[in-house]
Amino acid sequence: MSDTPRWRRYLRFWGPDHRADVDDELAFHLETRERDLVAAGMTPTAARAQAEREFGDVRGIRTACVKIDERRQRHAHRLEVTDAMWNDLTFTARTLRKSPGFTLTAILCIALGVGITTTIFSAVNAILLRPLPYAHPDRLVAIYSGSAAINAHHSNISYLDYLSWRDENRTFTGIGMWTWTSLTLSGGDGEAERLEGAEVTPNLFPLLGVDPLVGRTFVKGEDRAGGDRVLLLSYGLWQRRFGGDRAIVGRTVTVDGLPYTVVGVMPRRFAFPDRGQVWIPLTPRPQELRENRMYAGAIGRLAPGVSLAQARADLATVSARLQREYTKENFGWVTEVSTLRDDLVGDLRKPVLILFGAVTFVLLITCANVANLMLARGAAREREMAIRTAVGAGRGRLVRQMLTESMTLAVLGGVLGGIFAALAVPLLRFAFPGDVPFYITFSVDGATLGFAVLVAALAGALFGIIPAFRSTHLEPSRALREGARGSGSLVRSRLRRALVVTELALSVMLLAGAMLLIRSYRALEGTDLGFDEHGILSMRISLPESGYAQPAKRAAFYQQLFDRVAALPGVQVVGSAQGIPFSGWDVQAGMSIEGRPAPRPGHAFISHFQEITPDYFKAIGVPILRGRGIAPADRDSSAHVGVINQIFAERAFPGENPIGKRVKIGDLDSPDPWITIVGVARDFRHYRLPQPMGPAIYLPYFAEPVLTQTLAIRTSLADPLSLVPAVRRAIRDIDAEVPAYQIQTFEQVVSRSLWRQRVQGQVLGVFAALALLLAAVGLYGVIAYAVAQRTRELGVRIALGATRRNVLALVMGQGARLVVAGACIGLAGAFALTSVVASLLYGVEPTDPVTFLATPIVLVIVAMLASWLPAWRATKVDPLVAMRVE
Amino acid sequence: MPATPLDLLQGTLDLLILKTLAWGPAHGYAIARWIQHLTGRVLTVGEGSLYPALHRLEERGAITSEWRLTEHNRRAKFYRLTTKGRQQLRAETATWTQFVDAVGKVLRATEQPA
Repeated sequence: MSDTPRWRRYLRFWGPDHRADVDDELAFHLETRERDLVAAGMTPTAARAQAEREFGDVRGIRTACVKIDERRQRHAHRLEVTDAMWNDLTFTARTLRKSPGFTLTAILCIALGVGITTTIFSAVNAILLRPLPYAHPDRLVAIYSGSAAINAHHSNISYLDYLSWRDENRTFTGIGMWTWTSLTLSGGDGEAERLEGAEVTPNLFPLLGVDPLVGRTFVKGEDRAGGDRVLLLSYGLWQRRFGGDRAIVGRTVTVDGLPYTVVGVMPRRFAFPDRGQVWIPLTPRPQELRENRMYAGAIGRLAPGVSLAQARADLATVSARLQREYTKENFGWVTEVSTLRDDLVGDLRKPVLILFGAVTFVLLITCANVANLMLARGAAREREMAIRTAVGAGRGRLVRQMLTESMTLAVLGGVLGGIFAALAVPLLRFAFPGDVPFYITFSVDGATLGFAVLVAALAGALFGIIPAFRSTHLEPSRALREGARGSGSLVRSRLRRALVVTELALSVMLLAGAMLLIRSYRALEGTDLGFDEHGILSMRISLPESGYAQPAKRAAFYQQLFDRVAALPGVQVVGSAQGIPFSGWDVQAGMSIEGRPAPRPGHAFISHFQEITPDYFKAIGVPILRGRGIAPADRDSSAHVGVINQIFAERAFPGENPIGKRVKIGDLDSPDPWITIVGVARDFRHYRLPQPMGPAIYLPYFAEPVLTQTLAIRTSLADPLSLVPAVRRAIRDIDAEVPAYQIQTFEQVVSRSLWRQRVQGQVLGVFAALALLLAAVGLYGVIAYAVAQRTRELGVRIALGATRRNVLALVMGQGARLVVAGACIGLAGAFALTSVVASLLYGVEPTDPVTFLATPIVLVIVAMLASWLPAWRATKVDPLVAMRVE
Repeated sequence: MPATPLDLLQGTLDLLILKTLAWGPAHGYAIARWIQHLTGRVLTVGEGSLYPALHRLEERGAITSEWRLTEHNRRAKFYRLTTKGRQQLRAETATWTQFVDAVGKVLRATEQPA
């Protein structure tokens, strides 16, 4: 018979064996032909030879046939799979359409989860992941000075220190330096305007790796004092003020009253630092001092292969040498190096990550909710599953069907959530006060979309898998016999309870976190600022150096301005300071006190100081507690008087009367004059909260008038901003070349300074409310389902005389157990997580008793409501109807 | 028997196989013999083209196959016409007849067309 070994037949166990089939078929042909030939009278040997000759190329034919068969097999398989998928999908569509309530709820839940998770992720992406718009931004570091001795961190740097770092390091390809500046651009068509910008060393922009769009950046030598006055424009300024005219390069513009040549325009999306729009070369003063730390900072590019730690160690070596050489000037001063991204977004990292963590909780709760819905539905479909199993559907087939359902829901919900996120992401920018820094762009990009898809898929798997296995795990005979109350329901309801407890626990954790942040914000907001921020308009005014070289001219300008503004209707008092509270303006210096020995290095008495006008304290509502304030008479250069705050008085003159004491800004032997203290003003917050106030001394403005002042105009008008046109007119009438900017009310200044705390509290609060709502819905579902299942039992109880109270207690007791479990687990979790939010808190302990008491109370109230409704329905059960059911 | 059997026209073999199977299921050997027999040995179907043609027809769904025992108790692969195959046979028979008629008219023509 056949030469084919018998074992080959067993290969068919794994599916058709084409090779063997073709062999058999061809062998059959040859044998039959051979037999026919033998029958015709040939010898078997000759017949075989003849048959084979006739047949021709056996192997070629065999290969051709096998190839065709295999192709057919593959095709058939593909068809089968797509067919099955299509079947599953159409079946899913049918079943989902049949229960629109369930479908809609599930899809909306998923859309909500995916939508807000994706939105928050896009913030994470924009702030923490997307590279900064510089070349190889991960190699850029920010370098500052710091001194543990005077608790100064990320402090300004001195030019001479910068030169030492630049020339002595071995780990950087380059280090550049910059400092903040603001310039008045005037002349041409537009009004005089004040622009934020930076002074930069010529090597800085090449170091950032950004080429100008038009023209060139600065070149070596342009930073020399007395060199050409040159200027770089930002793209936005170029478009706005110069209409995007390329011929602007080489032209002259008026800056601070002096002619500057525009040498180039930087590309779109470039800004430095932060929001700068205009740049000039950083020109060191003719006599730079090592202790003169007045430049904002330095930026370095790490040499290839150098780690941040190596760079830190390298600069530490340099600053150690400087400390040894300049024992006085550099005592305790070290370099502080961080990545440029950390420097830019460092204080946003933590809140953003916490929000992301919170939103993950919300996502988990929505998943648990949908899983819960699916389990409840699984119970209702137990009969259907049982029938399908009985008529031969394998478990795998049923699981696949259930998973197709959950994935379909996930896809639909994901698409809706994606749309939701696409609409919400552009709104993120409104979470920032004012402009969003240039390096943060909120947009839906590939990463965000990919994330949405991933989240939807994960969510689908998360809420789909357990119900899929749960619902298909049953014995058809029992399930069919017992009808709706099948064998799976006990395990399933245990699972549903576990899911609800998880939801409750997660929402308790969110609630606790939100409460801590909101209470912390309230504490900040409730801080006694020491000044009265209501009804004050502030604006900054800068006189151009060129027209106001003599102090007398400056004084004349401001005196005239004050007189005019004070005469405006609605204006009560007008004063000015160099920097108003929360503006970020700050100058500090070591003070010497008459009759005391010079302090040891690093232990100087540091004080904030600035020049104010006589009415400034009156305008911002700060009383003088002792002595007198700055008086109008303190105006000639011999008026060396000052007013100190309480902290200054307590720290410098404990138990003494400070009035009449003399202090000096700088060392005892400095040529500066002695300042006589004439009064003590009440403390008020100058630094942004939560930074505490320190010693401060206020000097008379008109004794030594500077160019820039910030007006504080107290008004009786309801809206202080309505004064702006009149004040602007007053300024223009005196000098049209003088810009007014940073126009805002004190209330705005205060409110903006707390925006981050406010936003993080609000967002977390919204998340917590959402979480609580979702958990309540989950709880409601479980209890309502339990009531529906026990209708018969409840009917019997009522028939036997159970009162409404009994029934209410019975049903709500069931809910209460879940709530207690959820609250306990949640509080334990919140307790474990307090360390995460601890650094964001102010005036509130991480284990704040109010929070940890109020959270469970809120949960219990919401949970009572959620379980009261089904319980109330249970009392309405009509025993007759209930017992006739089934 | 002619000195050289005529080669089958491309596509004609499929038609012959379908026609053969129209009488009932048959294995490859039988199909080959029948065609040879019916054409009085004018047409010889080489196994080299028959078997690939059978498998191709099966792939296209014109025929199906199953393993059965022959009268001599041997396992053989029997092919059977499907509904689709029957439709194909009808359509191709019509086309073939038209084609033969048309060619015949030309060959039988006695006058050069105007």
